[in-house]
Order: sequence, then structure tokens, then C-alpha cells
Amino acid sequence: MDRRSFLKISAVGSTTAALDACGKPEHHLIRFIPEEDLIPGVAVWKPGVCTQCRAGCGIRVRVMQGEAEVTRKSKPGLISMGLAKKIEGNPEHPVNHGKLCAWGQAGLQVTYNPDRIRFPLKRSGQRGSGEYQAISWDDAIAELASHLPVAGSSGSPSPVAFLTQPLRDHRGALIEKFLAALGAPPAIHFEFFEQTVLRRANELSFGHRQLPSFDLANTNYVISFGADFLGTWNSPVSQNHSYGEMRQGRTEQRGKFVQVEPHMSQTGANADEWVYAKPGTEGWLALGLAHVMISERLRPAQAAGNAGALIEGWSEGLPDYTPEKVERITGVESGRIQRLARGSAAHSPAVAVIGGAPLAHTNGFSNALAVNALNALLGSVEKPGGIFFTPRPPMPSLSTSRNSASVRTLCEGILKGSPAVETLLVFNANPVFASPPAWRVQEALAKVPFIASFGSFVDETSVLSDLILPDHSYLESWVDNIPESGTTEAVVSLASPAMLPLHHTRPMPDVLLDVAHRLGGDMARAVPWKTYAGVLQAAFEELRSHPGSVTAKTDDDFWTAVQTKGGWWSNEAKGSPAMRELNRPPSPTKIVEPAFDGAASEYPFFFLPYASQQFSDGTHANLPWMQEMPDVISTAMWGTWVEINPQTASRLRIQKGDLIEVASQHGKLQAPALLTPGIAPDAVAMPVGQGHEQYGRYASHRGANPLKILAPQTEPETGALAWAATRVKITRLGKKGELILYAGSEREWPSQFQHR
Amino acid sequence: MKRQWGMVIDLDRCTGCEACVVACHAENNLATVGRDGAARGRTMHWMRVERYWEGEFPEVRLRFQPVLCQQCGDAPCESVCPVYATYHNPEGLNAQVYNRCIGTRYCGNACPYNARVFNFFNPVWDKPLDLQLNPDVSVRSVGIMEKCTFCIQRIKQVEIRSQESKQPIADGEIQPACVQSCPANAMVFGDLDDPKSKVSQLARSNRATRLLREVGAQPNVIYLRSVS
Repeated sequence: MDRRSFLKISAVGSTTAALDACGKPEHHLIRFIPEEDLIPGVAVWKPGVCTQCRAGCGIRVRVMQGEAEVTRKSKPGLISMGLAKKIEGNPEHPVNHGKLCAWGQAGLQVTYNPDRIRFPLKRSGQRGSGEYQAISWDDAIAELASHLPVAGSSGSPSPVAFLTQPLRDHRGALIEKFLAALGAPPAIHFEFFEQTVLRRANELSFGHRQLPSFDLANTNYVISFGADFLGTWNSPVSQNHSYGEMRQGRTEQRGKFVQVEPHMSQTGANADEWVYAKPGTEGWLALGLAHVMISERLRPAQAAGNAGALIEGWSEGLPDYTPEKVERITGVESGRIQRLARGSAAHSPAVAVIGGAPLAHTNGFSNALAVNALNALLGSVEKPGGIFFTPRPPMPSLSTSRNSASVRTLCEGILKGSPAVETLLVFNANPVFASPPAWRVQEALAKVPFIASFGSFVDETSVLSDLILPDHSYLESWVDNIPESGTTEAVVSLASPAMLPLHHTRPMPDVLLDVAHRLGGDMARAVPWKTYAGVLQAAFEELRSHPGSVTAKTDDDFWTAVQTKGGWWSNEAKGSPAMRELNRPPSPTKIVEPAFDGAASEYPFFFLPYASQQFSDGTHANLPWMQEMPDVISTAMWGTWVEINPQTASRLRIQKGDLIEVASQHGKLQAPALLTPGIAPDAVAMPVGQGHEQYGRYASHRGANPLKILAPQTEPETGALAWAATRVKITRLGKKGELILYAGSEREWPSQFQHR
Repeated sequence: MKRQWGMVIDLDRCTGCEACVVACHAENNLATVGRDGAARGRTMHWMRVERYWEGEFPEVRLRFQPVLCQQCGDAPCESVCPVYATYHNPEGLNAQVYNRCIGTRYCGNACPYNARVFNFFNPVWDKPLDLQLNPDVSVRSVGIMEKCTFCIQRIKQVEIRSQESKQPIADGEIQPACVQSCPANAMVFGDLDDPKSKVSQLARSNRATRLLREVGAQPNVIYLRSVS
């Protein structure tokens, strides 16, 4: 029936009905076309593991039969195959309890991204030109094998370096075995928002070199120092889940939440009380709170144990951190310090959290130690409602003992010519995009004679490679993951491929195994497995004798059962593993002043880059769903912006959307201004993630990259980049920038939504 | 059995993470319109998180509120449609018959919640992004109005299964994509006519309120006020 004849019938029906049924014509009319005839398709839900961030959530993938254009034996064609149609959380998984974040939901667009590399590529043009020609997998693997010299007999290491995203799985262990057999140095792990400072501080304070987990569901009071734990930091889905329980999961108690930060984050927006402290002074505030608790005898100083002993003056009651003194340094009123201290002491169990910018100052390590000591004083360590450390599963195959270098030292070495790097292997790490210019990453990589990349996309780093061996997407691969945090149980997630590969790609670990067998001899003996699935199956045999979520009589049954379940988790009593021995006796630390690059007179603003809710560190900028998801605070889409306090903007005659230049001593960029009351008048903030030069059609040449004006400031204890330690100046350029906002009005919160 | 589908959104749990927004895109084949379309206000979100600033630095607060079609009991969008493309289904949903819609956009104008979006263009998915499309949901074409359906395809699926197995639908068995994904469990979906369902228990909370009550559209989405 075409529309015209349909409308004719409708008109007749409606008239008749009106005559018959007195005023309810629509009931008759609707009979002609009821709501859409929905016949749901047949779907299979397969367990999976999310790799969109490091949290390691368990997922379920909805797979349905469909027709896809695929590449087989280098030839495109149309075949009918199972296709992933939706990703949801695995309800049984101890980290995410069936829930998933926006990044996890957008995982389909990684697999189906039109910019994925579809077959192995060999460089045909100038390096960096992006000109490649297709080659066969045989040739690609032979080419890679020919560039992997084994260590010399004189003891000189193999001149091979492996640069990878941090891997908490057996791929990481396999890479280490591979490199050890070559006689090459251990792999270098790179991600921009690294957590080295907090891990190191947790090792000294609590004996665990790892990120913490929080039992928020049983907490009555949370004080968070800069941690975007409901947005981008640590294990966001797990933390959102327990946050919801903290607020409304208990009938008699609603947990209170205080956020301390220089720039309002999505997490800070949810706080009952939002406290501004000057950037880099969070440690003083934490010790100011501790001072009040000790001096008012709300908590005994010795309750803090080892974590307290690390702070100079702790046993004397922190005489240098009186509320008045702390007020002068942090800008937080002394009365408020006392109130927060009494509040958190009175509402036990209370817990303190630190993450993000406070750790990314030159004094980030001492800020972390101060907050750890506060936690210990609050009595929250490994107590219900407090801070925990996720135990490691009993899998000896995962242990690695070698300490690896950083990207910065790698590049320094390459530029100096020592140690020699003749072959660089890159896996999903993009330091050319995500590093300060002073590290000279691009210049250093240009000097490496041979670079091979395993990534699925051409980005700023992989475009420099001579050979690209594209990986499967995570929905097409065997995936395992050991969550570092987000649960109090030991967990190994596991998934077999949810669908067949779309393109002519191969999983990175399988390529390494292929190469090792081609090299033969010791290399082949060091990694005897044929495929990565074989690596995993052997590793999981170690687990069967331990009590956990899966029991089976034989190894084969166990292997099938863990795949069905989506992994293995211990059902042992909840709690942290035993403290590990410290490799250095703790000596008391004093909180040092944060140092900033750029004189305040010339560069008057603190520059605060932050992990974007849309793109994290830029990894998700090639997903159209994330580009078009409005940032929840600015509501901006498809671009970047600079957040400026309205008072500052009015002083500098800057209006919303004006293009401004942000300049540090190390570079400058242009972006539109966004006036927002959630930032201090002496600071500007920018989300990280846009400004790609080379990352597919959706991300390239869009917005600005704030990391390219960062100073190479470091945190001295760990050598980590202090990415919040740069000062900038801003200039209005006299024209409008491109600012696409989803929301119109900003201040019409209907008072009826306030519960009093 | 008569049912009245409804949803409760607890603003004290919602953290503004926007998992619901992307889950909705994935489930319902929402098109992305790109930079130029977004700049013209033509994005196709069925679900959005509104945010409101209060106060000035440093005594500043920010509040979030997810907004979707409120599935009104007395819906302003229904009475204005000249071709009965938007109508009330027996289970209380405001349903939209896409192949009836002629694109007058009267419903969009009448909706007090700005919950309806219009297809200014035929949607485009760069291949192979078309493979992400959910076969249970029709793809809308240019000139059609669309909006949140409470994931009617998921409701139907459970209803069909329940009819076949003769098992009643359990409370919580049906979850729209946004509810399923919500990490903080801020959203609950269910039958408001069943006094024992979780959604109707929460709807009786003393924190319960509705968006723009004064309009009198009798929404079936109930908000629980944030406490602080």
C-alpha cells in the first residue's frame, strides 16, 4: 500500500469510527497498522572482556547472523557470519556487575571502524607519509623476522625495543618471554595518564604496588583529592556502581562525598561539598585534616602505622600543619578544614581517595603519601567501607621481574645513540601524540632504522613505521585480563573470539609466536605454543586446583567452563593480599612545594589538562559515537575548548566561543573559549584527546592537543611526567573558534529537584 | 494483563557518566550527524544528560539530569499529529509509526521535553559501520520524526517469550538499553500498575517528582530528587 492510498483508507476509517465510537476514533484507526511488527532476531550472547580502558570489565557480546563484506586470502567478498551487535556488561563479573560505561558501549565502533587497517602493509613512500603497499602475511612475518637480531655473544643486548600499552594479561607475559629469549631489554609500557606515582606511594604506605579499590557501598564519608573516580580514573564502572549504593543503597544511611580539586570534574559535580584547593597543595590539606584529628584526639596518631611514619612530624601531631598554616598554603579556610576533619572522623567508616592532577605535580608523590597517611588515620585500610588492594590470581605464568625503562629514557638513548635501537616494535602506544614536545619522541623515532607496528589504526606513532602487522579487534581475539583494582576478589577474565575477523588481520601474540618459530632454536623453545589460545589454555590449567567460581574435573572441562563464564574469580574471603616486603626502609617525607614551569609574572595561569570523558587520553577520538556524545559538563561535541572562569574572561574581554591562544614556554595552541564557573580565576583547563594529526577520518585535524604545550616537568621519586605543572598565558585572537555545544541554557535547574 | 510501563531515575545516584547516551545509540540505530550536523543542532540523541550550574566559583555546584521521552499519559505530541503517526499503545507507550510519519514536526514542537528528533537527512554509516546496526530496530529515513521507545523491541521480545513459555514476566526482566548499562543503577524500569514492582515502589518515594508537572502531561518517567 502506498502512502496516498493508506491515507485515504485512514480518512474513511476515521470518519466511520468517529460516527460509531463517539470520540475515540484512534482506537479504530490504529487497527490498520498496529505498532511495528516486531519479530526479534535470534541472538547469542558471548562472554567477552572489555579493553577500552585498563579496568578489565567483563562483557557480553550480542552476536547475530548477518552479511558482511570481508577480506579472505586478500580478496574481498560477501559472506554470512556471526556479527557483534551490542555490548553489555557481564552480570556475574566482580568488577562491573553487568554494567558498562560509554567507552565500553562504543566498543562496536572499534571493530567496525572504517579506518581499520585491513591487511599487512609495507612502507612505500617517505617515512610518515602514510603511503603503504599491501603485502602478504608470509612476507610481513619474514620481513619482521629479518629485523630481529639476537643478543651478541659478547653480552651486548639485542638492539630491539618493544613499546606497548600497559598489558595486564598473558600478552604482556608473552612479550617478556619473547624479548628475554632475544636478549633484548624488557618492554616499555606507555600510557599518558600513567599511575606510577600512586603505585609507588601505595607500595611504601601499604605494601602494595598497585592501584587501590574502594568499598564505597559501605562508606559513610568520602573525601577525594582530584580523583575523577566516577569518570575516567582507575575502575570507573566499579566505582560508579558502589557510589550508587553509597548514596541510596542503604535505607538508614546516605554517604557524604567531598571533592577537593582545582577544576570541577564530572566526579566533582556529584559532590555534596566541592572544595577548591590551589593546584599541588592537596597534600597539605590532607595533613591539615590529620592535624585536626590528632590534636582534637578524634584519632590516635599511632593508628596510621607505617603510612603515618612516612610523614615527617607525624608522631608529634604534625605541628607544621595547623589549620591556619594550611589555609595560607591551600586557600581553604581554617574553619572549613576543622569542619571537614571533624566530619570525616565522626562519620566512620570514612575513606580518602587521591588521583589525577594532585599526583601529576612535581610533589605528587608526597601528596599521595599524605593522603595515604590520612586514610590510615581514618582507619580505612582494608576495613569495610575503606580502601583495599585486589589480590592477584594464583597464576605463576604472569610473574615478571624485570624493570623497564620509560619512553623518555628510550628517546634520550636513541638520540644519544646508546644503547643502540635498530628495531622498534610498537603495540597500541602513541607517544608521538601523547608526550610533551621536549621529549622529542618523533625525532627519536625517525632515527630508528626499522619500526614495526601491530596496531589496528594508523596514528601519529604508527605512521612512522616501516611495516604494519594489523591486530584483530578485541571482539575478534582471545582476550584475557587481570584487573588491578575494582574488586576485592582475585579475577582473571577470559574470552574466546565473539566473531570471526572482518579483515585480513592477525592477533599480535600469534604474530610473535610465528616469528619466534621462524627464527627457530632458542627462540622457538622459549615460546613453544602455536597460538595465543594455547598460551591461555596452559596458563588456566594452573588455576583449576584453586577454589573459585569455576570447578571442573578435567582441564578440558575447566577450560570450557571458564570460557562460558567469562573468566575465573576466587570465592575466598574478601580481603587484600599479604603486605609485600619493602625494598627500602621508609624514611619520613616532608611535603615539598610544587614547582611550575614558567614564571607567574609572564605565564599567569595554571594549565590543567584532564582525561576527557569522551576520549580518555585520545584513544577513543576515532569513534563517532564518542565524538557526538556531548561532554557532560561543557556539552561540547566534535571539538576542543579551553575552560576559563567568567571573571577572568570578562577581565580579558573574552566571550564564549572566542578563539584564544594558549602559550607555554614549550609551545602554543589555539582553541575556543568556554566560560565555566567550575574553574579558578587563575587557571585554565583543557580536555586531552583531540588534536590528532593522524587518526582516521573522525579524529584527524579536529581540535587541539593540549599535551603539545606541556613542559617536561617530572616527579623526582618516580620520574613520571608532572603533567599539571605547566603555566601558560592566554591571548584573545579576535575571531570566533568552532565551539559546538549541545545545550542552550545553563542555569535553569528546577528547584523541585532539590530534596530538602 | 494490562501494564503501564514506566521508569524511575534517581538523581541522587546519577553521576552524569553518559553510558546511557551511548547505549541508546548502539541499541536503537541512532545516526551520528557529524560536525556540521551537530553545529546545526541536528544530533539524533534520544537520551541526553542535562546539566545546570549553580552559584559562582568557588561555591559552585553542577547538577545532572538524564532526559528522555517521558512517555506521557496525556501526551501533547499525540493530539497534534495530523496522520496519527504518534499514538498511545495499550501498554501506555507513546509509539511512533514511522511509515505513517510525513514529517510535519508538529509533535516535536508540542513536546515540552524536547524529546523528539527529526531526520533532516538519510542517515549514513561509513562501511563497515553499518554492521553495528541492530536488526530488531528499523532504520529511519529522511523526513521522519523519531524518539525514545523505551526499547520497545526489548519489551516485545520478553512479552513474546513469556507468551510462549506461559511464564509471567518477572519484575526487572525487561531492561531498556540505558537502564541495562547505567553503572550507578540510577534507572529502574518496570510496570507502574504492579504495586509490588520495584519501579512503582520507588515511584511512591517521598523524593519522587516529575519533570514540568505544571504542563499536565502525566509523564511515566519519575525522577527521584537529589538529596544535597
